[in-house]
Amino acid sequence: MSVTYGAVGWNRAKRAYDAAIGVGIVIYLGLFVGVGALAHADATIETLAIRGLATLAFLMLHVILSIGPLARLNPKLLPLLYNRRHLGVATFFVALAHASFAIVQFHAQGNVHPFVSLLTAGWGFQTLGLCALVILFLMAATSHDFWLANLGARVWKSLHMAVYLAYALLVLHVALGALHSESRPLLAMLTAVGFVWVITLHVLAAAREAPKDRPAPGVPDGWIDAGPVTDIADGRARVVCASERIAVFRYGGKISAVSNVCRHQAGPLGEGRVIDGCITCPWHGYQYLPENGRSPAPFTERVETYDVRVVAGRVYVNPLAHPPGTAVEPARV
Amino acid sequence: MEDTAAHLLLALLAGYLVVGAAVGVSFIVFGIGRVDPGARAAPWAFRLIVLPGVIALWPWIAARWIRSGAAP
Repeated sequence: MSVTYGAVGWNRAKRAYDAAIGVGIVIYLGLFVGVGALAHADATIETLAIRGLATLAFLMLHVILSIGPLARLNPKLLPLLYNRRHLGVATFFVALAHASFAIVQFHAQGNVHPFVSLLTAGWGFQTLGLCALVILFLMAATSHDFWLANLGARVWKSLHMAVYLAYALLVLHVALGALHSESRPLLAMLTAVGFVWVITLHVLAAAREAPKDRPAPGVPDGWIDAGPVTDIADGRARVVCASERIAVFRYGGKISAVSNVCRHQAGPLGEGRVIDGCITCPWHGYQYLPENGRSPAPFTERVETYDVRVVAGRVYVNPLAHPPGTAVEPARV
Repeated sequence: MEDTAAHLLLALLAGYLVVGAAVGVSFIVFGIGRVDPGARAAPWAFRLIVLPGVIALWPWIAARWIRSGAAP
C-alpha cells in the first residue's frame, strides 16, 4: 500500500515466488525438450520448443485458475494468491513465445506476410489461440495497481474475469489443433483432466462460499442479527450477508461494521484483523479505520459503513450502507 | 478477397498501434502525473511497465487525460 506507484513492489516473498516461477519454467522446458528429443529423434528443436512452450503456458493457466478456489478451500494457500499476478504475467510471456515460434515456423517461410498468412488460415484453432493471447496480453498489461485505480474496480475486475474466456478459447485451441493431429490419447486425457480439475475446484469453492451469502436472519425493524458479541473475537470480525457481505468487527470494547470488500482487489476484509487500530485486509495489507471506513492518511481508499447496535449481548447491523467513508458511532460492549 | 480483408485489418491495427504509441509516450512523459497523483513521482520503470497497456487502451487513457484538464 503506497502513495507513489513503484514498478514492482518487490519484497522477500515476491522474490521467492518469482524465483520459483523462473526455475519452474526452465526445468519444465529443459525436461520437455530433452525428453522430447530422446523420444522423438526426428523432431526439430523448433517443434519441441513450440510444443514445450504451449504445454507450459497451458499448465501455468491451470495453476492460475486453481489458486483462487484453492485459497478459498484452504486459507493456508493464500500466499499463492498474493502474487498471482506475477504468475499471470509470466504465463502471457510463455504464451507469447509459443505464438512467436509458431508464427515463424508455420507462416514466415513463404512469400506471404506472416500475419496475413495467419489471418487467412481460416477461422480455425490458430484464430482461437490468437484471441486467447490478446486477452492474456490485456490482462498482463493491466496487472498493476495503476490500472485498478484508473480503470475502476468494476471494469478492471471484468477485464480480468476474461481469463475464463481465454481458458475456454485455449481448450478449443488445443482440441482443434494439437488433439486433432495427435493419435495417442495421453494429451486428450490430460486436457480433460485439467478441465475437470478446474471445474471441480470452482464448484467446491462455490459450495463452500454459498452458505455465507444466505441472507442473515432479520429482526422486525429490518436490522440483521449478527449473533452474540461473545462469538466475535477481539480484533476479528463476523461476516453477515445482506445484499453484500458485511464485516462486523469487534475491537477494544467497540463494534463497527464495514463492507467486507476491500477497495484494492476485493479481498475479504472480514477475514482480516484489527492491527494498530485499523482493519487490515488479509490479502495485501490495505487498511481502513473501523469507525469511518477510511484508509488512514495519506491514503484515500474508502469502504461503506453500517450502523450497529448491541442489545442484550447480541449485535445487530442495519443492512442499509452509508456512502464510503461515512463516520458511524461504534456500538459499545 | 481474404487477402484484401487481412491486409485491411492489419493496416487498421497498425494505425491503431502507431497512434497508441504516440499517445502512450506523450502520456507517460507529460500526462500520467495529472491523471493519477500517485504517478507524479513514480520511477521510469513504472512508466515503462504501464506503457503497453496505455498503447492498447489509448482511447480510454486519452479521454481521461482530456477530462483531467490537460490536452495532449
